[in-house]
Amino acid sequence: MKLERLVRLDRRIIYLLIAVGTLLPILWRIGFPVSPTPPVQALFARLETLGPGDIVLASFDYGPTTAPEITPMARAVLRHCFERRIRVVAIALFPLGGVTMGGEVLGEMAAEYPALRDGEDYVYLGYKDGTQAAMKLMGASFASVFPFSNAGVPVEEIPLMQQVRNYADIDLVVSFSTNVIGEWWANLVNAQFGVPVAVGTTAVWAPKHFAFLDSGQILGLLGGLKGASEYEHLLVAAYPRLEPLYERAGVYTAMKGMDAQTVDHAIIMLFILIGNAAHFWMRRRESARRPG
Amino acid sequence: MGQVLGLWIGAFLTLCVFSFLYRDNPFFRFAESLFAGISLGYYIGTVSANTLAPNLFRPLFRDFPNQAHLLIPLLLGLNLYCRFIPRIAWMARISLAVYIAYFVGINMVQKLQGEVVPQIGATILSPWGGAFTPLDNLILITGVVCVMVYFYFSIEHKGPVGAVSRLGIWFLMVGFGAAFGYTVMGRVSLLIGRMNYLFIDVVRATRQIL
Repeated sequence: MKLERLVRLDRRIIYLLIAVGTLLPILWRIGFPVSPTPPVQALFARLETLGPGDIVLASFDYGPTTAPEITPMARAVLRHCFERRIRVVAIALFPLGGVTMGGEVLGEMAAEYPALRDGEDYVYLGYKDGTQAAMKLMGASFASVFPFSNAGVPVEEIPLMQQVRNYADIDLVVSFSTNVIGEWWANLVNAQFGVPVAVGTTAVWAPKHFAFLDSGQILGLLGGLKGASEYEHLLVAAYPRLEPLYERAGVYTAMKGMDAQTVDHAIIMLFILIGNAAHFWMRRRESARRPG
Repeated sequence: MGQVLGLWIGAFLTLCVFSFLYRDNPFFRFAESLFAGISLGYYIGTVSANTLAPNLFRPLFRDFPNQAHLLIPLLLGLNLYCRFIPRIAWMARISLAVYIAYFVGINMVQKLQGEVVPQIGATILSPWGGAFTPLDNLILITGVVCVMVYFYFSIEHKGPVGAVSRLGIWFLMVGFGAAFGYTVMGRVSLLIGRMNYLFIDVVRATRQIL
């Protein structure tokens, strides 16, 4: 009888446990260890080879619905670029919130580096519709896709954009993507223009991107909150002065989020194990009871 | 004060959506409809301000003689609205045909050059070796072949073909399992984001104002 009750456990009890398992590590940090994986290390290592003369194109291809996964990786990558004085051209190709996320994250990160100048060290060109068409046209001319910056300044008047005509002037593309857009950077932009591409994507989309990683079409991959936490870990290890930014109370980071993630996974796995064990136990008991 | 009010509205709407976990209710439906409506409004506003204005209207008004070619996409776009006038509804198909032809053209090259060819290339490997263990490449090649046999329906899946096809199912199941695991991680991440919003961001901002 007890087994039957366990199998028919009200799903709302599981929801409650997950809620508690999420909330407690957010309020009190556990600090589970983070071990960086090769796809994340590859992007980090690539950015370490770039410096003040180089230009990274950061594409904000996600919206608020996936911000808890993607924003930490976007912050970490931009901090890494700004630490190394790599210049950043930021764009957004995701219609539902990409332009807002890009503006917010770039604004926050730029504010941490007051020595960097808007238009010279970084520029935000804003959102453009027709993703693949925009990607293809940037291969010929950035100015035809983005005639004005997000602030409305003509691109010909922006010093950084005077050095960026097309992908030939870009050293690395990093797409923070929520769906198929990350894939398009690989199978369209990398394939047709040869520009190196790295993708930070949601956990849901990460498995498909591994195929592009294996074929060398993307050089690095940050998969979901785990990938973001690995990048944060590498960044803090290489630039210890950034550690306080990641340890501040009340600031959401992927490393903090992974504590809750780990606890939740343990709860889910426990219920999967208990559920399966109870199911097989009941089946065995019923077949033993059956006559003949 | 305005920021805190915004945070509280966000918190209220988050709780409205979470209430579905208990059961369907009017608060959830209100939040769902509001989200759909605001998303559409946001999209229209974003496209108008970020694409139509800088890439179409401003160039046309500023330098018409050199930008007159932009009238073609403008007319094609307006032509789409012909579908609301029954007598000339057929004209909208011309614009749709141009739109579809453009993206079919882009996609054909993109898929073949950027996906099919490089992915086949990445599968042509020495059977021995790999990034992590000496068996990686062999597992990869076996998996690709077995899954392709599973999706090959011109031969009946019996005997050795059936065995290879069944192995293909196993590979697919492992793939689906990995994808499902990642999906769980993604969904939990979103929950973490919302919990952080409710219990850290909202509480901190409210405390500051009090």
